[in-house]
Amino acid sequence: MQDDEASRFAAVQADAILREPLDGFEAVYHRSSGLTHLLAEPAPQLLDLLTDTPLTVAEIAGQLEGAYDLVPDGEADIPIAEIVAHRLEELAALGLVLKVAGKGPGR
Amino acid sequence: MTGQSGAQSRVTSGQMMSDTPETGPQTGSQAGQASADAHRVARRSLLLGAAATSAIVSIRPALAQTAGSVLNCEIPVPERGKGMFIDANGELVAPDTPGAFPPSPRDFTGEEVRQALRGRTLPGTSPEQSQAYLNYIRRLQAGQSGFTCYASLQMPGR
Repeated sequence: MQDDEASRFAAVQADAILREPLDGFEAVYHRSSGLTHLLAEPAPQLLDLLTDTPLTVAEIAGQLEGAYDLVPDGEADIPIAEIVAHRLEELAALGLVLKVAGKGPGR
Repeated sequence: MTGQSGAQSRVTSGQMMSDTPETGPQTGSQAGQASADAHRVARRSLLLGAAATSAIVSIRPALAQTAGSVLNCEIPVPERGKGMFIDANGELVAPDTPGAFPPSPRDFTGEEVRQALRGRTLPGTSPEQSQAYLNYIRRLQAGQSGFTCYASLQMPGR
């Protein structure tokens, strides 16, 4: 278990969204905003990872690398963690992922 | 790591499938290649995208609100501060134009407008006045107060 001070990310509560696979994409209806989002890889996989346990960017990158052959697009020299961080920012901006305090549970 | 052990078990089953002699005898290097292919298949690839690209497209419901708010949203007739009257066609006309009606003293709710569209009169109005107000509401365009509320009434299932 890591106990660093980096921010952890958690998926929004499961009952706050409706998720529906759509042939390679995933449609996510966010109840509180009334918005529907079409998620491409790796956003749905990130939501899956963060549903149970808040994780740091490094932990997420590590878990993805363990489970998948990761295919960065274009700039291959960009670290996986950096791309993951960008995806997380996107999800966080829409309220699908929450940033939680580095230490201790919850905010 | 549960992720890794899951991937590992899938690799194992992939190798078992590659042992099935469906394609006839294989050389050692072919078998090795098949095993590598199975490994690649078992570990699903995941597109990360470039750092600068986006993985999400949002569909904004310009007209939709939550089901509850549609009926409670309000439509001013006409917009505040206009000081204009409303003629029978729903057009804004100068105050005291003969045959035109004064601004409604209060906003109408989505539910009241919905019922008026089905034949009732708007509360506190005469039938002619109600028709004039409804005509005004029908002419609402994007950006005007009440448009989103009225447009939401047109959504299927309302």
